[in-house]
Amino acid sequence: MEILKLIYLNTMFYVSFFLFSAVGIPLLSLLVAFLSLFMSHRRTMKRFRRAINWYGTVIIRVLPFPLVRIRYKDFAKDDERGPYVFVCNHQSTSDPFLMACLPYECIQVVNIWPFRIPVLGKFAKWAGYLSVREMPFGEFSRKTVELLGQGVSVITFPEGTRSGDKPIGQFHGSIFRVALQAKCPIAPVCINGNKKIPPRGSLLLRPGTIRVHKLPALQWEEYKDMKPFELKNRVRDIIAREQAVMDVKA
Amino acid sequence: MTTEQEVITLTNQVFEESFEIEKEKLQPQMNIFEDLGLDSLDVVDLVVALQKKFGVKIRDDERVRSIRTLGDIYQFILSLKTEWKS
Repeated sequence: MEILKLIYLNTMFYVSFFLFSAVGIPLLSLLVAFLSLFMSHRRTMKRFRRAINWYGTVIIRVLPFPLVRIRYKDFAKDDERGPYVFVCNHQSTSDPFLMACLPYECIQVVNIWPFRIPVLGKFAKWAGYLSVREMPFGEFSRKTVELLGQGVSVITFPEGTRSGDKPIGQFHGSIFRVALQAKCPIAPVCINGNKKIPPRGSLLLRPGTIRVHKLPALQWEEYKDMKPFELKNRVRDIIAREQAVMDVKA
Repeated sequence: MTTEQEVITLTNQVFEESFEIEKEKLQPQMNIFEDLGLDSLDVVDLVVALQKKFGVKIRDDERVRSIRTLGDIYQFILSLKTEWKS
């Protein structure tokens, strides 16, 4: 009986996902295209990224309910100001969608394959997402600093690949070198509860609650004297500790 | 000539000073990427630090690409020292 219910809810999710995408993506695109006639490129991009955020919010919060519930908590200090470099752990395919929880204008740093996803890959490219493995470090650094300078936050998954059931993996250091250069705050983001939403190698969403915690950001003044290697391990430790706490509470 | 033990000690010093990795972790079988957590950009820093420590030129050496473990680094430095002397 439980299995039938699970299959029914998954079918409902995927059907509504495709229907909403088929209608929502062209509608939002048309809206942004129309607004671009009256706005500067910068403001149009801002609206475009906000539209992507709305789309993501519906995909993660509305369509999978009640099978999957999302709890977002912001632990930011009162005096914190973005834009941020968001550093997140990476357990599941759902992680990039969950970033719609973050109420900021953002782009994501991706590996090669997300740009190859039909439709969504194209939109990611247009929104200025960065495919880190398809550009030299110098270019990645320049583009990231430029985006941060415009007030756009940058979301990264420095493990590079999904850890699934394994403990949090080693971090790649590129983004930490860029953060040191850009002098911007680094906000660790801990995602918990989605190892099986969906599990690696499957599309079947299991029921559960996903928690996304945005932790207090490390200000540049706090980390400016650290070497990139030390910095990436400091942030990794913060996320791993939060992950352990969230595992116990779950 | 630098002995094997000296190469091990000096290489470990580089890891301690440049990456603040604990002494206990510095075992020859440790994979520098998976176990010690270095990435490709850290390797550039490592090469610079090793060049400085041993006074050898490593940067353009193709053999750097095949290094995986700490033991590989010890052997690589030893072979460089031998080549340099001969």
